[in-house]
Amino acid sequence: MKAFEYVNALTPTSAAGLLGENGRYLAGGIDLLGEMKEYIATPSRVVNVKNLPESKTLTVSDGVLRLGANVTVAGIAAETEILTGWPALAEAARDVGSPQIRAVATLGGNLAQHSRCWYYRQRDLTCLKRGGNTCYARDGQNKYNAIFSGNPCISPVVSNLAVALSALDARVVVQRKEGEASLTVSELYQDAWSNPLAQNSLAPGDLILAVSVPSDGRKSAYLQMSEKSDFDWALVSCAVSGKIEDGKISGARIVLGSVAPVPLVAADAAAFLEGKPLDESSVTQAAEIALAKATPFAHNGYKVPIARALIRRALLKLLV
Amino acid sequence: MSDWPKKTEYLGRSTPRVDGPAKVTGAAKYASDVQPEGWLYGMILRSKWPSAVIRSIDLEKAKAVPGIKAAVTVRNGERHVRYYGEELAAVAGVSKQACLDALRLITVEASPQPFVVDVVEAIKPDSARVFADAPNLGEAKIKEEGDIHGAFGKCDVVVEGEFSTQVQLHQALETHGNTIQVETDDACTAWASTQGIFSVRDGLASNLNIPQTRVRVITDYMGGGFGAKFGPGVEGSLAARMSRETGLPVKIMLTRFEESLAVGIRPSSYQRIKLGADKEGKLIAFDLDAFGSAGFASGGSSAGGGGGAGFPAPYIYRVPNVRAKHAGVAINAGSARAFRAPGHPQGSFGMESILDDLAVKLGIDPVEIRLKNDPLELRRKEYEIGREKFDWLQKYRPPGTSPGPIKTGVGVAGATWGGGGRGTKAQATINPDGTVEIRCGTQDLGTGARTVVALVAAEIFGLPPERISARIGDTEFPASGGSGGSTTTASVAPAIFDVCTKALNELQVLSGVADARGANFDAACRKLGMEPVVMQGEWREGLSSSGVGGVQFAEVDVDTETGFIKVKKILVVQDCGLVVNKLTAESQVNGGVIMGLGYALYEQRVMDPQTGVCLNPNFETYKLPGAADVPEIEIVLLDMPERGVIGIGEPVTIPTAAAVANAVANAIGVRVHSLPITPDKVLEALGQIPAGPETASSDLDKSFVVVEDLPAVAGEFTDDVPS
Ligand SMILES: Cc1cc2nc3c(=O)[nH]c(=O)nc-3n(C[C@H](O)[C@H](O)[C@H](O)COP(=O)(O)OP(=O)(O)OC[C@H]3O[C@@H](n4cnc5c(N)ncnc54)[C@H](O)[C@@H]3O)c2cc1C
Ligand code: SF4
Repeated sequence: MKAFEYVNALTPTSAAGLLGENGRYLAGGIDLLGEMKEYIATPSRVVNVKNLPESKTLTVSDGVLRLGANVTVAGIAAETEILTGWPALAEAARDVGSPQIRAVATLGGNLAQHSRCWYYRQRDLTCLKRGGNTCYARDGQNKYNAIFSGNPCISPVVSNLAVALSALDARVVVQRKEGEASLTVSELYQDAWSNPLAQNSLAPGDLILAVSVPSDGRKSAYLQMSEKSDFDWALVSCAVSGKIEDGKISGARIVLGSVAPVPLVAADAAAFLEGKPLDESSVTQAAEIALAKATPFAHNGYKVPIARALIRRALLKLLV
Repeated sequence: MSDWPKKTEYLGRSTPRVDGPAKVTGAAKYASDVQPEGWLYGMILRSKWPSAVIRSIDLEKAKAVPGIKAAVTVRNGERHVRYYGEELAAVAGVSKQACLDALRLITVEASPQPFVVDVVEAIKPDSARVFADAPNLGEAKIKEEGDIHGAFGKCDVVVEGEFSTQVQLHQALETHGNTIQVETDDACTAWASTQGIFSVRDGLASNLNIPQTRVRVITDYMGGGFGAKFGPGVEGSLAARMSRETGLPVKIMLTRFEESLAVGIRPSSYQRIKLGADKEGKLIAFDLDAFGSAGFASGGSSAGGGGGAGFPAPYIYRVPNVRAKHAGVAINAGSARAFRAPGHPQGSFGMESILDDLAVKLGIDPVEIRLKNDPLELRRKEYEIGREKFDWLQKYRPPGTSPGPIKTGVGVAGATWGGGGRGTKAQATINPDGTVEIRCGTQDLGTGARTVVALVAAEIFGLPPERISARIGDTEFPASGGSGGSTTTASVAPAIFDVCTKALNELQVLSGVADARGANFDAACRKLGMEPVVMQGEWREGLSSSGVGGVQFAEVDVDTETGFIKVKKILVVQDCGLVVNKLTAESQVNGGVIMGLGYALYEQRVMDPQTGVCLNPNFETYKLPGAADVPEIEIVLLDMPERGVIGIGEPVTIPTAAAVANAVANAIGVRVHSLPITPDKVLEALGQIPAGPETASSDLDKSFVVVEDLPAVAGEFTDDVPS
């Protein structure tokens, strides 16, 4: 990797100033160091944000879960209050990488992690997302790529936590310029839907401070399918939430991961379910609706049936 | 026939490795841990082009980087590189960072050439050529027996199928590499991660153009090889050259990225098979049309070494009428090297799959059809043992009839291997204080060879294994062969038996103690006075033999909605003659099965056809089985001391993939014809994927037509690939 300068940020407001020309924030460092070792990122300065005050705290008050940006994925997975109150989030955290990765990975870093498209990560290629002219995946080895996209890049969002947090209607608190912005998860990622160069909607200097997750009596569930039993990225992930009364669902949210550059909110499918009982037939129809507009490539059509199965199973899980 | 003791104290028991504690505490120093005084990091610059004529390489800026002590090119003058990752130049310096910086400052002037990395593309007549003067598809070799043309007409049933297997990478946990010190008087010491210390010695001597006696190779501990670590490699010769230039030790250990490009593969295979039998299931005719790639050097006349892509067919079965045709295909990718049972897993997957298809068509139980056709009595016995243990008759259902979306299935397959012993020398020293030292120039590639040495000596002397100092991994010790072909235990154990028996005799003669074993040992030693007993011995006939069978049964769950496969159980029934150490023998079985599961379900090198680069040169996307993927593995070892010692390392990895593939086909009622069997392929086989762009299998279909048209030469078909 290229030699760099290392500084410690002590306050959120000073952090952005420390970045300089092409600095990068460092949390757990798993993703950033990977990019630096491959010379995909060559920052002159790395700003450690792990020592920011309150950034590692996890609190529940008035039914709202508040997670500091530096809470680890393992910390989320182990918290029994999350497992009972926001099970989709706990389940999503449990499925992240391996125990070693979960112990080091932070919430902020997990949400802000960059593309895992293997063309993007190949040290000797410069694809569209890295500023080149071509998306190699479209006509190439696109088995792990997206089946929905609003731009020429088909690198899917792979953060498990983003998918669960989107289904749970979470808010991401971001230090932006002098103030704080509160973004929905969709807002956090929307730029990646339309702009091949974007990994998310964070501008340079934007710093994730915390995530807050409401609890309004919703049930939630998260499921993913990988090629291996453990320590493997999701081929498709799915988080759902909603209020259940007499077996009927209201306010459903259905979100898919690893199928689009953003956590894909299946709003039409959720609307279809409004007030309906959750049963084999309704969840199957919802799954059909959610995938109706998928546009798979040569090697990733299989994501469609997997996504359908996960939607059905996750929705039915809300009943138990 | 064997001279091994009938009643044993140590042999055949489960003994933990004598070096286990050293390994888990970090006291054991692997080749990558060695740090001789003043050592330099070495790193290699590799081709970024899958094919290019290299015009010139400028090292000046690299040499000017602070801390850099040497920079060399692999070869002088113009040359043609033929794969992404081929070695171009190397640097040595005082830090890793200095080397990384220097590599980026080397300028290479190159003219990129057309390339092809996809085998099916490469055999098309208009494909880019790996070697301009020869087609990528080499001349086919044909084996013919009986009358293949008439025979199919006499069959009651005929089944046909197309099968393919992927490129698998060795991925030993310790990468390739050496630390090499060449002194000013040309004395050379190499600490090598190798499975053949003497072949590394000979390779370095010839690289440096010095006598073999001037080279000493040390491999105290190394982290696996699987067939790809016999020589010093280009990385070894570069380290040696830079050490000679600087007078300092140079260490080049490859990165995982490099490991995935240039140091060996298991060749791919594409097989079209036609199999015919009578009503009873007795095989009558077998026809194979196959091709595959062992990398850039694979194509017939253009081959430049590196091993072929052939495989034994019709594998373990004897069919009266056989035609087996195989052609090697050159592509712009790194070369093959021997890989745990070279050729066998490919041959096993094709043959065992089509055999099950035949059994289904005839309505014969898969175990039954094997009992009918397997020529080896021992393996037939193993099938019968396995059938009992596995509860096969209870578990086997007609294909696809398991209820519910998650379907259970079972499958079975068999294997063969040699695994005999060969020339190995050893020395035993018994000191007056009762200490015993055995020296043998073998190496432990992770299989437990050091423990074998200690155990055999312990048995002969009647002493606990901890009392034996087992010294291996040094070319100054009496010579032994490379650890390949499952020959190590069968070579080493007899040599240790021989030398220890002689040493014990000598001790008894010199001390006058009639039975100096066990409790009498120390007293006998004291009588030696000043003179230790020093004895030489060697491998001899009668203590080892060759030829094993082996069968595996698999049980799987397949989720027909997501394509996910969970292997629930593998049962292994395996013979290996005399079991020297039950614990490490079982370890070999576990490792072989796990590697076979990787081949069956997860592992596959992925190349990009547009750019010619490797897309998964890491453990994140080159998927190896992890602990959670490993099922219950039940092992039945047939202990047959009367046959002497036979190797077990390779046969146990062969049939796993075929057994799993058969179990998957049994579960879902349709067959996935290509390895690895990933969820996408399962869903495709089940017709679950919405119609989309052309699939790989439809392309493969057309490619066999191309192969058919090619001229063939009669020749010996690879039946037993040396390893
Ligand atoms: C082999 C492997 C498997 C993995 N499997 C999974 C998986 O299955 N599911 C999954 O979800 N993830 C997976 N991951 C990703 C892993 O969880 C992320 O790499 C990790 O979460 C990143 O967290 P970090 O704290 O290390 O981030 P860092 O590497 O420190 O940062 C990541 C990025 O976010 C930026 N950043 C960090 N903190 C902030 C902040 N507070 N505000 C704004 N930007 C910030 C950094 O500048 C950098 O660009 C895997 C990773 C690996 C290497
Ligand atoms: S999908 Fe995106 S990241 Fe992948 S090759 Fe295309 S542009 Fe690059």
